[in-house]
Amino acid sequence: MSLAEKIKVLIVDDQVTSRLLLSEALTQLGFKQITSAGDGVQGMKIMTEQPHHLVISDFNMPNMDGIGFLQAVRSNPSTKKAAFIILTAQGDRALVQKAAQLGANNVLAKPFTIEKMKAAIEAVFGALK
Amino acid sequence: MNEAMVRRVHIIQGEYKVIGDPDVVLSTILGSCVAACLRDPVAGVGGMNHFLLPGSGGAMASGGDATRYGVHLMELLINGLLKKGARRDRLEAKVFGGAKTIASFSNVGEQNAAFAMQFLRDEGIQVVGSSTGGEHGRKLEYWPVHGRARQYPLTGAETQRTVALEQRPVRTPPKPVDNAIEFF
Repeated sequence: MSLAEKIKVLIVDDQVTSRLLLSEALTQLGFKQITSAGDGVQGMKIMTEQPHHLVISDFNMPNMDGIGFLQAVRSNPSTKKAAFIILTAQGDRALVQKAAQLGANNVLAKPFTIEKMKAAIEAVFGALK
Repeated sequence: MNEAMVRRVHIIQGEYKVIGDPDVVLSTILGSCVAACLRDPVAGVGGMNHFLLPGSGGAMASGGDATRYGVHLMELLINGLLKKGARRDRLEAKVFGGAKTIASFSNVGEQNAAFAMQFLRDEGIQVVGSSTGGEHGRKLEYWPVHGRARQYPLTGAETQRTVALEQRPVRTPPKPVDNAIEFF
């Protein structure tokens, strides 16, 4: 079993299309355990019920945005060790700094390529295969 | 609506604008490109984007770079609207463009329009009007706060010039806005 197959991933994005594209990209990279949520509140519910190894979360979302979700994940003892990659469509440097301060493991700018997504995940977990 | 008071804002390929001023009209010129016009009638805010999927995209499910680029431009517009007080469940859309140009004999325009319609359907955004396809380009005007749209067909020569301009950019997705963002 490859490393990618062992990692449980939670995708959090308010856009249905983005979730589909993220899931498709992850599948192409060999991931098999993929769950998705539409915002940080729903994401946190899933994480507390069934912790995932990797969270890939959008920044702009209703109810609880990516930064709020990151804070919630890091402040909960059962979820704080999850790797957290934040997605941004705006390429905002202040956001990147804030995400780093709050314990994000990486940032991925949209529109991403499969190669960039792979590199962002491998920077956290090491080579996937 | 007093047209003498109107301020015109022109949008070119790859751009999007979000406006909350009722005296602004957004305009653009479309060949094979598509413009998605979205607004929240309650919040009084609307906007438009203008895109051509590089390499024509293909099916949404293919998840290729071109599709991600198109999704990105739709997301920027939606995020811009939400930041100005719009609510996703109140958004309504109009879609224009995607002409099948005689010059290229291709269905790039059709694929662009199909992409926009599928995206809006998947996101649950109601399409309240559309004018896509055909053999002539369009000059489009959209009042983002009122939701009114007006289009003028381009002549054959104007359409050919527009399509030539649309084809000029490199047919690969542009880099993200701040590609310098790398790993911590």
